[in-house]
Amino acid sequence: MTGPIASTSGVSEAGDGQGAARPMISTRDLSKSYETAGGEIHALDRIAIDVAPGEIVALLGPSGCGKSTLLEILAGLIRKSSGEVEINGGPPRPRPEVGIMFQQALLFPWRTVAANVLLPAELIDGRGQDWRERAESLLAMVGLSGWADKYHWELSGGMQQRVALARVLLLDPDILLLDEPFGALDEMTRESLDVEMMRIAAEASKTVVLVTHNVYEATLMADRIFVFTARPGRIAGVVEVERPQPRGIEFSTTPEFSEKVAQVRSLLSSGGEG
Amino acid sequence: MTKEITREVDGQEAETGPERGDRWERVIGPIGATFLAVVLIVAGELLVANGVLNEIIVPRPTHVLSALVSTLSEGFFYTHLWVTTSEVLIGFVLGTLIGFSVGAALGISRRARAIAYPYIVAFQGLPKVVLAPLFITIFGFGIESKVVMAIAISFFPVLINTMAGLTGVDPQARRLMRSLSASDWHVFTKLSLPSSLPLIFAGVKTGLTLALVGAIVGEFVGAERGLGYLLDVYSYQLEVPRVWAITGILAAMGVILFLVIEWVDRKVVFWQSRRDMSATM
Repeated sequence: MTGPIASTSGVSEAGDGQGAARPMISTRDLSKSYETAGGEIHALDRIAIDVAPGEIVALLGPSGCGKSTLLEILAGLIRKSSGEVEINGGPPRPRPEVGIMFQQALLFPWRTVAANVLLPAELIDGRGQDWRERAESLLAMVGLSGWADKYHWELSGGMQQRVALARVLLLDPDILLLDEPFGALDEMTRESLDVEMMRIAAEASKTVVLVTHNVYEATLMADRIFVFTARPGRIAGVVEVERPQPRGIEFSTTPEFSEKVAQVRSLLSSGGEG
Repeated sequence: MTKEITREVDGQEAETGPERGDRWERVIGPIGATFLAVVLIVAGELLVANGVLNEIIVPRPTHVLSALVSTLSEGFFYTHLWVTTSEVLIGFVLGTLIGFSVGAALGISRRARAIAYPYIVAFQGLPKVVLAPLFITIFGFGIESKVVMAIAISFFPVLINTMAGLTGVDPQARRLMRSLSASDWHVFTKLSLPSSLPLIFAGVKTGLTLALVGAIVGEFVGAERGLGYLLDVYSYQLEVPRVWAITGILAAMGVILFLVIEWVDRKVVFWQSRRDMSATM
């Protein structure tokens, strides 16, 4: 299924040959500042992050801490100001091995569910229909078999995000960048989608960067949680969650979970004061 | 039109249940409208027959009806009808194409927008009918000047709405397209254009109605054929029932054109009406 992409993903074989230990995502001294009418705003200040292949990390912090900015830099949607960024051994730019998911499902209302899922393939090789079978199996995987020919107004918010999930998985990306993908959904729908996301990531050993402001979501899903301070965005600390993947929702009722949540909270509050 | 009425009735009937409201509306609408028409016609007939209204000013409805029948049975009427219809349709199609092309150019290029902005503001403020004498002078008394008038009056809403649609595309959706390495052409054809279609079609609908206005105004100012010309002649000859009959025909023409474009709109921008429906459900 990844056949049509293989030619464009040669980047992954390039690099300095450090082998399997090389991080999938790596930033050094990464900074970002904006020029505004009120002067310069430091969104990110010397961020250093390494994400190993197959790892799930969360970027957690209050709004305005620059975590979404960091994700957009990783996705190649905006430029860094200074420092280094490497994605899969190359500079960040939009490409098929990197999938990004936003808070809104962003389904096009003039397209059916299947046509929405096929959009990434259509933009790459212009022959979306070749991917139809894969799109349908992905829809089945996210629990929407039989919905291929419906339109988005027939779907609930959670179902729309499932379609967006199928869409981001179509080109089988190695890296998933998730910008609060389930943030607009109710708590129960969000949890079930979180669990599903972990299962998918674990099965296909995908590297996941999750941006969230939800401490529980971060603790439930992430192997490591980078806690950010607000403006300028700095990393206040990292919390490791050793529980093996994929996790179920029952993890959230364990003492280990509560302990990690407490650790994250104390980092968040210390960051807030500093 | 019907959509607004539906909403009002739904609002009033909310407590007795929307289904009952809908059924009631479906029955009362046509019956009430027909009843009102009968009342107006009978009242007009009686008022004119009893001399309350002067027949030179307001004709008897029965006279208007017989004028309508005799007008429709005369061959030369269809010449005039054909002339006006051609003016309207040619003007509307060309006006829509020009409005869309210029609107798309302005919607895509920020520089073009900056240059064109003062002209857009000036043209928006101009009552376009004042251009009619100018066009008659330039393009003569034939069909050309009316077509140009119809273009001038109908292209503008299409232009404005196309531009507004293209500049108003959801920035999040643009970000999604960029993250999928979409080319500028793909962003335009697969996102910007379809997402602008509801607004563009709203402009096209206004443009069609205005094209009719443009053609008739052009014919008023100077023409040798057309329903506007015929209206002018009958008015001058004090053939008041025929004036009313032609007016009724023009109204019918406007309604037919609007219904056709409404139908096309619902087919092309199918997701818009569906979204409205699910929003009211």
